[in-house]
Order: sequence, then C-alpha cells, then structure tokens
Amino acid sequence: MIQMSHVCKIYGNQIYALSDITFEVSPGEFVFITGPGGSGKTTLLRILFCVERPTEGEAVVNDFHITQAGFKKIHLLRRTIGIVFQDVKLLRDRTVAENIAFALEVTGHRPGEIKRKVSEILGQVGLQQRERDSILALSAGERQRVAIARALVNDPPLLLADEPTGNLDAEMTADVMRIFMDLHCKGTTILFATHDAGLVRQYPHRALWISEGRMREEGVANEVKREG
Amino acid sequence: MILFFRDVMKRAFHNMHGNLFPNLITIGVIGISMLIFSAFSLIAFNLSAFLKIWEDKIEVLAYLKRETPLTEVEALLKKVRLLEGVEKVNYVSPFDAMAFMENRLGSQRNLLEGIKPAILPPSFEIQVRKDYRNTTRINEVVSRLKQFSQIEEIQYGQEWVETFSVLLHILRPTQWILGGVLLIAMIFLVSLTLQLTISSRWEEIEIMKMMGASPAFIQIPFYIEGMVQGLIGGGLAVLLLLLLHQVFFLNIPLPIQTWLAEIPILFLPWKTILWMILGAIFLGFFGSFVASVRFLKYRG
Repeated sequence: MIQMSHVCKIYGNQIYALSDITFEVSPGEFVFITGPGGSGKTTLLRILFCVERPTEGEAVVNDFHITQAGFKKIHLLRRTIGIVFQDVKLLRDRTVAENIAFALEVTGHRPGEIKRKVSEILGQVGLQQRERDSILALSAGERQRVAIARALVNDPPLLLADEPTGNLDAEMTADVMRIFMDLHCKGTTILFATHDAGLVRQYPHRALWISEGRMREEGVANEVKREG
Repeated sequence: MILFFRDVMKRAFHNMHGNLFPNLITIGVIGISMLIFSAFSLIAFNLSAFLKIWEDKIEVLAYLKRETPLTEVEALLKKVRLLEGVEKVNYVSPFDAMAFMENRLGSQRNLLEGIKPAILPPSFEIQVRKDYRNTTRINEVVSRLKQFSQIEEIQYGQEWVETFSVLLHILRPTQWILGGVLLIAMIFLVSLTLQLTISSRWEEIEIMKMMGASPAFIQIPFYIEGMVQGLIGGGLAVLLLLLLHQVFFLNIPLPIQTWLAEIPILFLPWKTILWMILGAIFLGFFGSFVASVRFLKYRG
C-alpha cells in the first residue's frame, strides 16, 4: 500500500527534514510513526498525502507515484486517503452532519447517498445524537471524532493521522484510539503519527521511530524503548 | 453533470453573496472601465459615420481660367471624364453659376444686380467614384487635374476631410490603447477581488483539496463569479452609456440641432454592444483564471 524508498526532503539550503527514509506498509497494517516534535513525522505524512514532493527517492501510495504524478491527478490520490489532523480542520460555521457531508459533496455524491453515508458514519463514531449540533458546541474529543468520521466517510483504504490525540486528555485519547483500533480491525490501513511514546507502547503494532529526519528504529510498538 | 453544474452555480452565488462588498467594488470598477471604453467607441463610431456621410458628398470643383475658349473646354471635358476615378463631370458655365447664385440668394438676389456673369469663372463639377472618396485617393485625382494648364483652382473641402481623418486616426488608436490599459486594470482588479474571496474561504478550499475535490469543482465557481461580475459590470456600462446618450441627444442646443440635422447621433450598434458585454464577461473570466492559477491549484 505504501512504499518509500530512500526518500529525502530538503528545504532551502541543505536543511534535511527527512533523510534516506525507506519502509513499506502492507494493506490492513496499523503503523505508528513516532519521534519527538520536529523529527519529520508531519513531513513524512505530507509527502504521503502529496502536499509535498520528495527531493530524492521514490514514494508510492496506493499505486500512485508521488514523485512523478502531475498536479492534475493529486485529487485522485487524495480520494483514496483519509486524513486526520491534531487541529481537526473542521468548518466552524457548519454542523456536525454538514462537515461530514462536505467531504461527500466535493467528491460528487448524490444527496440521498450523502444522507445515508453521513448517518452511518456518525453511528460508527458514536455521534448520532450530535448530528445537528454546531462544531463549536462539541468537546475536543468529539471534534476529533467528527474529523475521523469525515476522513472515513469516503471509505478510503488508507487513513493517515497526524497527532490526532495531541490535544486530548487521557479519557478522550482512549475514546479516539478505540475508534482507530475498530477501523484497523475492519481492515483499514492506518499510519498514525504521534510524539507520545507512552501511547505507542500501549499497542502491539509496528512502530517507526524517527529522529532528526532519519529513521532510527523499527519494531513492534510496545517494544520501542525510546522516550518521546 | 447537471448535479455538478447546479452545485457549482449554487456555490458561485453563495460566494458572491458572502463577499458582497468586494464583488460590488469589482462590478463598479468593471462598469466604469467599460463605460469609458464604450464612450470612446461611441465617439469614434459617430465620427466614422459622420466622415462616411461627408465623404459620400465629396466632389471636386475645378475652376477654369476665364479666358479658356469653349473649344478647349470641350476637349478638356472629354479628357477629365476619362481620368481614373472620375464618375461624372458637369460643366458649369459662368451663366449657370450666376443662375445658381441667384437661386441660392432667393429674395436677396438683387444683391447681384450689376454683376455680369463673365466675372464668374467657368468650372467642372467632378463626382469621383466611391472608392476615391477619401483623402488619399481623391488627391490622386486632384494631382492629375492640376496637370491641365486650363485649370486655375481646385476645391474639394480637403481641410474638413483631412481634419476629420486626422481626428479619427488619433481617436482609433487612443480607443484601443485606452481599452488595453483598462483591460489590464480590469483583469488585475477582478483577480484581486477573487483573491479576497479566496482568502476569506481559504479554510473551506483547503478542506476541499484535502478531501480530493477535483480542480474543476474548486475553480469553476470562481470562474463563474468573475463572469457574472463582467456581465453585470458590462451591462451596467452599456445602460449608463445609453442613458448619457439619450440625455445628451435630447439636450442639444437648437442651433446645433439644426446644424446636425443631416447627421444623426447614433448609439452603438447592437452587435458592438454584444461584443462589449461578451468582452466584459471574458475579462471577468480571465481575471478569475489568473487568481485561480495563483491560489487554487493543487500543489505538491
């Protein structure tokens, strides 16, 4: 599903954000990307989401060659990827349902289909009762669940999450992680970036440790010893 | 497709409604620019029409020397009729000229008492072919006429023709230069307004890109917005020009009205109006295209 081979990202005058990153992710895998703040986790996700291009190396996501792809095809890649950010990026002037429906509207779904899918996904993230509430009326954890619902509503085979629990307390983090684990069980491939090594150690999934733009260690998450 | 178009239109009008002030400013600027351009076009059009009417009436008067014998006049008449560009030649004898003057003076013909026709020179009234009724070609006929020694003086209203031609030659490039400057200004302003609209909706556009909206889905509403701005601005300019034209036409002082009796002050033909409005729509589109290239494209 993801193949990265000797990927480097250099900004300006020899500032290496990423250096010689090589790894693969198979369909259905849950992979943590962990490391301290500024280590290159977000840059890595931005490359996978085609917001940035690698300066060197090769990156392939869902058979889409990021290094070579034209700008006109980026949207086709993005339709196969769901993305969740720490700062949720929801439209504050719209309701929960409208925010999720927006992801379907922009990809050309019909109104009836949109209604059905929104209702289904709200059930999955446990927000059926908040459908008509404004985003501003939600807690941070609920907002993150809306963001996850929006990322998933197009049924993408791959979900990228960039510090989705970064702003949440322990209880809300547990709630959100439960949703991610459920999705993983249903077969969605997940790449989960977090600086929280403690969180990573709680799960028996593969983890890639990145520091100063280099991949330092790879192993099962609850065996990674480094502190975040 | 219908659903896509409906959604795109809905979003375009939603964008315009949500950013009413910058949109009104752009419509106003397009309107003023188009008004200036169309006013210049109207003046140029009327001057052209006037010149055309005037050119149609152009004839050359060749005054012969008084001592020219009639036999020579006869031969000269034949030669002039054969000149290239000449359509018709009338010989006007001193007696004909006197009769013409008496006729023109009407009740004041007694002013001519005691004047003998012999003091008036005989002349040829020469009508030139239609394609010769312009300053360049009429001069060809005049220079050929000047080669005849029996001809003393030639008149063809050259000053008027030349003045109008010069005026028209200045006005036409000015119209296009002005049009060009206004065009750049309009593209810049439409593009600037759309940048404001885009920045006010930046979050929404970013989310659209994140969700994989097609470039057409993101860009087309902005193109429509620019085109609607052009349509309204262009339409308003034409309406305002029509109003000014009517006000100007209805309030011309009486002496000028009499002078202009044969020269109607025309409004722009509907085809020109249509082209102007289409031009304004295209400008609106182009302005939004410039803004979209800079701000709406997927980058990576």
